[in-house]
Amino acid sequence: MKVIVGVSDMKVSSKPGEELITYSLGSCIGVVIYDPAVRVGGILHYMLPESSLDQEKAKRNPFMFADTGIPALFRATYTLGAKKQRMKVVIVGGAQILDQQGFFNIGKRNHMAVKKMFFRNNVIASHEDVGGCVNRTVRLNILSGDIHIKVGGEGEKKL
Amino acid sequence: MNAVSELIREIDSLQPMPQIAQQVLALAEDPKADTEKIARLIYFDPYITADLLKMCNSAYFARSRTIDSLHDAINILGLDRIVDLVVMKCGSSNFKGGQKGYGLDEGLLWKKAVSCAIIARDLAMRIRLAERHLVFTAGLLRDIGKVVLSRFVADRMERIQRLVAEDGYSFREAEKKVLGVDQSELAGIIAKKWGFSPRLQAVIRNSHMAGGAVFSDDAANVVYVADQVCIMLGIGVGLDGLAYRFHREALGALGLSARDLQEIIADFGDRIREVEDLIGSF
Repeated sequence: MKVIVGVSDMKVSSKPGEELITYSLGSCIGVVIYDPAVRVGGILHYMLPESSLDQEKAKRNPFMFADTGIPALFRATYTLGAKKQRMKVVIVGGAQILDQQGFFNIGKRNHMAVKKMFFRNNVIASHEDVGGCVNRTVRLNILSGDIHIKVGGEGEKKL
Repeated sequence: MNAVSELIREIDSLQPMPQIAQQVLALAEDPKADTEKIARLIYFDPYITADLLKMCNSAYFARSRTIDSLHDAINILGLDRIVDLVVMKCGSSNFKGGQKGYGLDEGLLWKKAVSCAIIARDLAMRIRLAERHLVFTAGLLRDIGKVVLSRFVADRMERIQRLVAEDGYSFREAEKKVLGVDQSELAGIIAKKWGFSPRLQAVIRNSHMAGGAVFSDDAANVVYVADQVCIMLGIGVGLDGLAYRFHREALGALGLSARDLQEIIADFGDRIREVEDLIGSF
């Protein structure tokens, strides 16, 4: 069964019949994690780097921001038996509109936010598909752990 | 580019905006207009009334009680909202199908149109711009050119994408180079053909910032920024991707900072799921 992860949304699963998918990541980032030992995985689709922008919104929906959404994603998989040390981690998205520079570039800032958090917490992404001006769709099969990325205008590729 | 006559035929096959939407919009934009007159116009159209009630009871408005008459709808949601819903209903017919040429499945461009309209209206309120209904309508219809061009870009997409990837063109610039016309020019032509007010025509045309940016029109800037937010969020983005130019001057002209832009994104993020529900009620 297909489980759609919307914008500002997160889904985790341990059900072998499920496939998590998030469509059309632009400047947003999709963080995909999967523990093959227990076949538990999740996808987070966040919009913005920092919850300090609006604490109220972050409380209501932690998945909107990198700094509140990423810990929530990992924690949710831990409750299903996953362990950080075994985790396969993939980062997708962070595209940009043409001519965006410096601090206006939300895609770049979103990417920097996850990199910074991973560095601090000793998490290494096994694959990144970020940047450019394309949109991306990513899906995770819970049974096999297969991750597929589709970049706008190109065919889908399996990692 | 195909013959101009073929393009015109394609424009003619669009469903024009019904007269009632234009009348409601004209009255809503007139500060001296009698609000009763707007309500009466809507009351006498049973189809619009029925659709309005369906939309008013969608999760977008999250009301605890059911709205079961137009009178209730106006009292509870306010005439302002009702005007927007009438325009939204009337503008939906051309957007609902897919635009395969742009790689857009059914409903995706409509989702973008509604999102752009809602962000534009919220943005207008944020900067206290009086022309709220106008920017809502312009946001809703600014991509109408894509509906027409979809068939024409299909077999030229590879060339357009090559210009974007290899020669630094924006998607719109590449479209213009390959087809001789682009989505924004067409949107302006359609707005004129449908007899929109000169003001609405100008906002639709200028909100694409085509042919040299014009940043002196606040309404056009608002619609442009709303569209950029949609593109950043990947809403209604197909084979064109994010390959559109970001003119920060539009933000500057509106007195908005990078932080404001993020707040606008976050505000809309709060409502995305409700928007999907609203679209589902059409």
